[in-house]
Amino acid sequence: MDERQQRELRESAVIGSGPTTDPGQRNVPPSSEPRPAVLRESAYASLKALASLKLTLVILALLGAGIIVSYQLEGARTWPLVLPLGLLAVNLAAAVATNGVFRRQTALLVFHLALIALVLLVAAGRLSYLKGKLELAEGEVFDGTLTDFDAGPLHPWRLDRVRFANEGFTIDYAPGVRRGPTRNQVVWEDAAGNAQRAVVGDHDPLVLRGYRFYTSHNKGFAPVFLWQPKHGEAALGSVHLPSYPIHEYRQAQEWTPPGSREAVWVMLQFDEVILDPERPSEFRLPAQHSLVVRAGEERHELRPGEALELGDGRLVYQGLRSWMGYTVFYDWTLPWLLAACVVAVASLAWHFWGKFAAKPWDA
Amino acid sequence: MDLELQILWAGIIAYVASGSLAIVALLMGKRPERTVLALMVLGLVLHTASIALRWERLGHGPFITMFEILSSNVWSLMLAFALAYWRIPKIRPAAAVVMPILFIMMGWLMLSHPGEGHFPPTYRTVWLYIHIGFGKVFLGAVLVAVGLAGVILLRRFDLGVDRLARLPDDRRLDELAFRFMAVGLVFETLMLVAGAIWAQDAWGRYWAWDPLETWAFLTWLTLAFTIHARLAFKIQPATHATMIMAVFGLAFLTFFGVPFISTSPHKGAV
Repeated sequence: MDERQQRELRESAVIGSGPTTDPGQRNVPPSSEPRPAVLRESAYASLKALASLKLTLVILALLGAGIIVSYQLEGARTWPLVLPLGLLAVNLAAAVATNGVFRRQTALLVFHLALIALVLLVAAGRLSYLKGKLELAEGEVFDGTLTDFDAGPLHPWRLDRVRFANEGFTIDYAPGVRRGPTRNQVVWEDAAGNAQRAVVGDHDPLVLRGYRFYTSHNKGFAPVFLWQPKHGEAALGSVHLPSYPIHEYRQAQEWTPPGSREAVWVMLQFDEVILDPERPSEFRLPAQHSLVVRAGEERHELRPGEALELGDGRLVYQGLRSWMGYTVFYDWTLPWLLAACVVAVASLAWHFWGKFAAKPWDA
Repeated sequence: MDLELQILWAGIIAYVASGSLAIVALLMGKRPERTVLALMVLGLVLHTASIALRWERLGHGPFITMFEILSSNVWSLMLAFALAYWRIPKIRPAAAVVMPILFIMMGWLMLSHPGEGHFPPTYRTVWLYIHIGFGKVFLGAVLVAVGLAGVILLRRFDLGVDRLARLPDDRRLDELAFRFMAVGLVFETLMLVAGAIWAQDAWGRYWAWDPLETWAFLTWLTLAFTIHARLAFKIQPATHATMIMAVFGLAFLTFFGVPFISTSPHKGAV
């Protein structure tokens, strides 16, 4: 920025080009009734104060401090960021409204408008986002239930209309049990009722009704049972054992059959090495396994097809499957955020290009 | 691995010779600029060959271990400064300020273990290259600005005033440093945007305040603060130079400090 432009920027912050510079207004005699022009002048002066370039610096410093506070205190992630970002949006909007330099420098105006749009979009996104987790055994259909979630107060909650099924996955492992790409086959029905299939994985989420489903490193084995209660209908249920291979030596879980009052403890036993640290391998179900089921003081060892009588029903072990953990993310602002970022960077580059092109770098 | 390390050391020797010659020449009032540039280019050629051999051997670029991060950044920073040295002859004596910074990084590189790391599946994306590429342009631009800011500050403290007299005056250096900082702001913004796109696809969130994201954003804020202050207020070249140093210090901590204390560049997000 040359001397003239700097002067203009400073002057426009102080003088402006609105009613305060109208000499006719200065001769208006004082009146007990505030007149519209006086009110306008007062409002404009307030706007000019909010547009202060020094205030921008203070707000940027405040935002930096807010980031450090929210980084250090995990429970204080909202207000230390919301407050300076809100102030920044007001400051930028007031500057755009009152600072004459923006009417002369289009690229600078576009950059600041894009920044305002970014702050507003981030705010809108935080009000309506959803971040959650779910687990599906092979063959299981997602019914809208999340195991854990965090959502903005204005989230539209359309998850109950989203259905897809996990049809199994493959994951390659390099020597040293280093996880390779995840390929998860999923199936869902499109709007016309036709079955659609896709392989999702590390960079390819399944996107349904704005919800983005991502596979995660969380996956493992899931013994499946048929629960036949003494009264009522039979139901299938699966026990998601702790994630494998992270919890390789803790493949046990307590589980209550659907509708039952009696919990059982289930442990998977197998001898073979699934993921060999010495050579490339693939996540798979063990070829031979047994299931230890403890009900009260009784211990039973089940193989697929075998059953166990409990106090209020019969538990039939159907076999072993895998389960996959997914994360789900919803934020309708994503494409708009990207567009605002592209406009902000392009206008910033345009502004600097115009500024620097006039004089060579090695002059 | 031995060959690639031997070629790397040869490249570093060329860099050190280039930097040492630039410093000695400044102190002696000599101008062996073509030799300095030739040694820089020789170092870059050897270093490029070493990185290429390692890339071919491991099947992935230098993005995982501290050794790789340092090596690729020494390469990109040398390339950025060599380009500035070649295209803007008037600022060549600033090499005496820039090269010692690179010497520190080279020393750290030589002390780092050259073993290989695991290349996670979430790193297998073109956004990795775009994100890192933008980051390297950003840091390269800020490094050149640091060279110019260093000259302004040395003059301020009456260090080497006579030796630095053949560089343009402080106002011109300040203007040039500002240009490089502006380039840095554009490319750091691009780096953050590309990183957010990558994170959204790879981990299902575009921003999670992980240590590297947090410190990269703080660096961006400090850079934006410096540029805003320089644009809106008539700050003195020495003040601007000090702010440039602060931005580089923060960027250096972000690029090398966080990966140094973290198990991966983006901790937990593998």
